[in-house]
Amino acid sequence: MTETILAQEKTRRSLEKAASLLSYLLLVMFAVTFLLPLYWMVSGSFKLQSVTMAIPPEFFPSNPTLENWTRLFTGPWPVWRWVLNSVIVSMLTVILVLLVSSMTGYGFAKKKFPGSNLLFFILLLTMFLPNQVMLIPLFLLVRSLHLTATTLGTYFAMAMPMIPSPFGIFLVKQFCASLPDELFDAARIDGASEWRIYTDIVLPLIKPAMAALAIFTFNQSWNYFMWHMVLAADKFQYTVPVGVSIISRTPAFGKMITDIGLTMAGGSFGAFFMIAFFIAFQQYFIRGITFGAVKG
Amino acid sequence: MVKLKSFMRELRKGWSGYLFIAPGYLAFLAFMLIPLLVAIGLSFYTVSFDIKAREFVGVQQYILLTKDPIFKTALLNTIEYTAVIVPVTILLALVIALLIDPLGSRAQAFFRGAFYIPGVAGGVVLSVVFLWIFNPTYGLINFALGRMGVEPVMWLASAPFSFYAVCAVVLTFTIGQPIILFQAGLAGIGPEILDAATVDGASSLQQTFYIRIPLLRPVLLFVLATQTIQVFQLWEVIYMLTGGGPYNTSTSLVYLIFQRAFIGANYGIASAMGVVLMIIIMIFTIIQLRFWNSEDV
Repeated sequence: MTETILAQEKTRRSLEKAASLLSYLLLVMFAVTFLLPLYWMVSGSFKLQSVTMAIPPEFFPSNPTLENWTRLFTGPWPVWRWVLNSVIVSMLTVILVLLVSSMTGYGFAKKKFPGSNLLFFILLLTMFLPNQVMLIPLFLLVRSLHLTATTLGTYFAMAMPMIPSPFGIFLVKQFCASLPDELFDAARIDGASEWRIYTDIVLPLIKPAMAALAIFTFNQSWNYFMWHMVLAADKFQYTVPVGVSIISRTPAFGKMITDIGLTMAGGSFGAFFMIAFFIAFQQYFIRGITFGAVKG
Repeated sequence: MVKLKSFMRELRKGWSGYLFIAPGYLAFLAFMLIPLLVAIGLSFYTVSFDIKAREFVGVQQYILLTKDPIFKTALLNTIEYTAVIVPVTILLALVIALLIDPLGSRAQAFFRGAFYIPGVAGGVVLSVVFLWIFNPTYGLINFALGRMGVEPVMWLASAPFSFYAVCAVVLTFTIGQPIILFQAGLAGIGPEILDAATVDGASSLQQTFYIRIPLLRPVLLFVLATQTIQVFQLWEVIYMLTGGGPYNTSTSLVYLIFQRAFIGANYGIASAMGVVLMIIIMIFTIIQLRFWNSEDV
């Protein structure tokens, strides 16, 4: 009797073990599939043109070459300038979004004033709207102000549509709402000005939300392809994604992409910065994604 | 009179509130709400490069849209893209999240990162390599298919393959976020619930289908909403891979708006298309919100 139970228990355990092993294998298989394109791009950047077109394809470059990378860095494309542009535009966006979202979110959460509900409701309504609709009038505005005539103007124009971040305001409002009112009242009794309360009490307390918002905004701004492409007047104003797309569209003959190696080097170069950024700040990414969607 | 006085007092008392929301709200008005209203206005005009030479045409452009076969194709494609990509993404993300869930925290972080990385790299960068992978003569896909005896396919230049090629690329860089959300949702399920189920003799498969997935409902709805809105605005992969072709079979609404506005300089008709897109997304959001409220999640 006990023996059969023991035997059953044993088979159950080994079954469970097999199932967990199987699920692990499945997971690894999925991960490999999803990362394969990135591997293909990076390894392709070290292949000669003839190798990139070889059938069967070389899975590991047998004769790795730096030729594509040399051509990328010494060719007609100011690739480091694109990185600088992307960094400046994204940093500018992050600074403005943080400033504006923290003030406005705090104001909506902790200040009582006539019309606050209505004003917040209007803001929320636009949270899910497609921003391509607004880009047309914004483009006409930028053009009529000749903002792209100067590099600084272009940077600001590129950051412009992202500054009012309904998501950021919403996030800060939620975060501030959980702070106790007594805190602010006590500071007021001690004679702190409203601005002091914001800089010395609110800002330190909402730091976690700010960090997540910053990381999230940086990534979004970096990949705001359509707007950057529309605004960039010449190759010195390109951001990284615009540059990568232009390199991939520079054919030698016909419509086919012929310079695969160079294109892959460009793509790998473009991917590097955001992936490094992600690895450095992974926890903030995760927090930014799960804020608001998952309780706790 | 008394009412007005007390209202004025409220206004005065609320001064700091107005000051705090002012920067954000002014930016919101200048860069979002007013452009939005201008776009709606523009949809009643024919406008090209010279904005001053615009002509008021009323709803004529909307009537034109109903007769425009390319617009119809773009609209239908957009709906089809959503109908294909969103369910597949959600299902696959759910499976992957369930596979990640029992692992240790380091392995969890590793796999979350692995699936999220294509997304941070961005659609443009990823499309670049897919141009090569989908190449009919020296691409990886046709090579693999050739090994299985399948004839080479013109992935990016023939219907309906270009449509599915776009779907596949979009899937690879949008799946990270749902996986992270599902995984966070699964991690949030209290162990006491599952322990109780184990005591009652529920198998782990039963627990997954009858306890864990139902408890994920709020996250599921959130993912459904955000993914749908995201795929509805799909365009960069199309721009990079197919150019909407062949014969507009892989085009989308936003790609068409991009073409009309920023390549063709037809700001009026592009705005009209944008308004249609906006109305669709608004209706969808309202349905979502109702669903959300009625379920009391």
